[in-house]
Amino acid sequence: MPTTALFRHDLRTLSGSWLVRLWLAATAILTLFLLTANWGQFQTATLIASMLFPYLVFPWFLVAVVLGVAPVSGAQADALADGFLSRPVTRYEYLIAAWAARVFTVVGIFLLVIVPAIVLVVFANRPVAEETVTLYGILGSLIVVSLVLTLLVSLGFLLGTLLRRPLLAVVVLIFVWFPINMILHTFSLEEFSPISLNQAIPTLLRQPWNETEVESQNPLGDHDAEMVARQAAYVMNFLSGEPAPPPPSKDGFFEQNNYDDFSLGRVLLGYGIPTLAAVALALLSFCSRDL
Amino acid sequence: METAVRTEHLTKVYAGRVIAVNDMTLQVPRGSIYGLLGPNGAGKTTTLRLLLGLQRATAGSAEIFGRSCGPNAVEVRRSIGYLPTNPKLPGNLRPVEYLDLLGQLCRLPPEIRKPRLTSLLRAVGLLGATDQRIKTFSTGMNTRLGIAASLIADPPLLLWDEPTAGLDPSARRFTLDLIREMGKNRTVVVATHILGDIDQICDHVGVMHEGRMIFSGKMRKMKQRLQCDGISLELDGDDDVLQRLTGQIAELDGVDACTRNGNTLLVRTSAARGRAAVLAAALKLVDSHGLALQTIYSGQNETENAYLQLLQEDKAHGFNRFDFNTQDAADADDGPVSP
Repeated sequence: MPTTALFRHDLRTLSGSWLVRLWLAATAILTLFLLTANWGQFQTATLIASMLFPYLVFPWFLVAVVLGVAPVSGAQADALADGFLSRPVTRYEYLIAAWAARVFTVVGIFLLVIVPAIVLVVFANRPVAEETVTLYGILGSLIVVSLVLTLLVSLGFLLGTLLRRPLLAVVVLIFVWFPINMILHTFSLEEFSPISLNQAIPTLLRQPWNETEVESQNPLGDHDAEMVARQAAYVMNFLSGEPAPPPPSKDGFFEQNNYDDFSLGRVLLGYGIPTLAAVALALLSFCSRDL
Repeated sequence: METAVRTEHLTKVYAGRVIAVNDMTLQVPRGSIYGLLGPNGAGKTTTLRLLLGLQRATAGSAEIFGRSCGPNAVEVRRSIGYLPTNPKLPGNLRPVEYLDLLGQLCRLPPEIRKPRLTSLLRAVGLLGATDQRIKTFSTGMNTRLGIAASLIADPPLLLWDEPTAGLDPSARRFTLDLIREMGKNRTVVVATHILGDIDQICDHVGVMHEGRMIFSGKMRKMKQRLQCDGISLELDGDDDVLQRLTGQIAELDGVDACTRNGNTLLVRTSAARGRAAVLAAALKLVDSHGLALQTIYSGQNETENAYLQLLQEDKAHGFNRFDFNTQDAADADDGPVSP
């Protein structure tokens, strides 16, 4: 009962906070702006990916971090925590409730804004070429972004617990998160970076649930045929001594690379494990520290 | 003696540098109103937080009703009603919602929790403020709500930290009366540096200084430590007569000194030689001079004097503290005094 009560209390507090209200308004306005600006230009998958960009890369990760940091740092938060933790509540119960409420709020606002926008994009008659976006792809994309946001909240939670100063925790996390591409590249894990994920989302959106079944119906897809033709051209040019043809032109940020080997399972593990580790470390730190 | 709170050599050192609580051994008798007295920074709040498990002891142990205290000692905290100094409460809630939330945290079923909310709000005089959000509350109202919150689970032990801090006289009076009332069927530990509060409500007292418990025992015992105290007589009469009376009282047997400040005479007397006899003789003289007695007060600042004397002795003893406290421990009839 205490965890549920604390969870409900935290949710209520968060829903009444100016940060959350402003964020909801700002994210709705930005999504609307992206939707109208790219309405007649991008194909469905690219348009959806462009709307997910602010959550994965910039600026909404900041909000997720700030919300994650708040409950376990700062004098006011500590005083309130004292007020609750002097009751028959374990620190574990308190922390899990606070974390869950923040994740629920962040992911809830994301879904609240993005789901209607995706429905609009998918079902509206737009002045661009039709494109197949699968339900599996949409759900997968939403799960990926939710997972990234959950990780950000959890990292904020961890740093807030460790450093105990909200501002310091936010600054440290910004300095860690911004060069994350470079760090992941160093360890050959670039596919897990938020930018790579965002670029992979159009591919994911086009993926059917049962890929092998579809492949059996259409053994050589357009994309694969194009790849084979291109490779054949390379070989012929190499043999004839002619200069290699220029690489295919890039269609923009969301179509820079092909992510045919994109694996939802791998991404879930890649983000899920650090999330669990961050929450576990935050719990360990919080349970062993003085209040 | 059945104890509600027991600590053994309890020690808390912050960051390996600041000694907040120093080797404190304490016993609070069950059913007593125990005043934890000490100047700011003496370690009173830290002691309470150690008992609540909000902080971990560097050394030693603490028990409440025979159960060890610690961060996850839920059963221990179930038996405690804690009131922090100037409680910071969630401003977005209304009093009923806040108390209901705390009731849920205490795992009280709704059929017990719900009726208790109204009765508690009535008891602390906040029934008229149920539609207000807590952020609109004054300091006094916050404290009252904090008091109600500490009572939500009807705990047998109350740990109240500076319950009268920042209160106006009527709110202070209300709080002290409430503590007295609570003390009839509960153990109450009140941490404060306000001597008047301790003097009015407590039957046992512990004096802390620089993290150490320098006295623990019955209130009466602490007052008896004073070898000398005064009787204050406020009189109405001629200046000359008052001056003559001052001299005559000063010569009475058992009087150490008699000083005059306007219409008030302060008779310093040795407690050992019978203050009652001195007072009777002094009143006879007042009557014989035809002076009108306005007020008479015995034992003014008694607690304050005893407290200050304890602090002075503690400072003066320096390296001899150990011997001094061993002697004190023998004197105290309830709680031992830690070295």
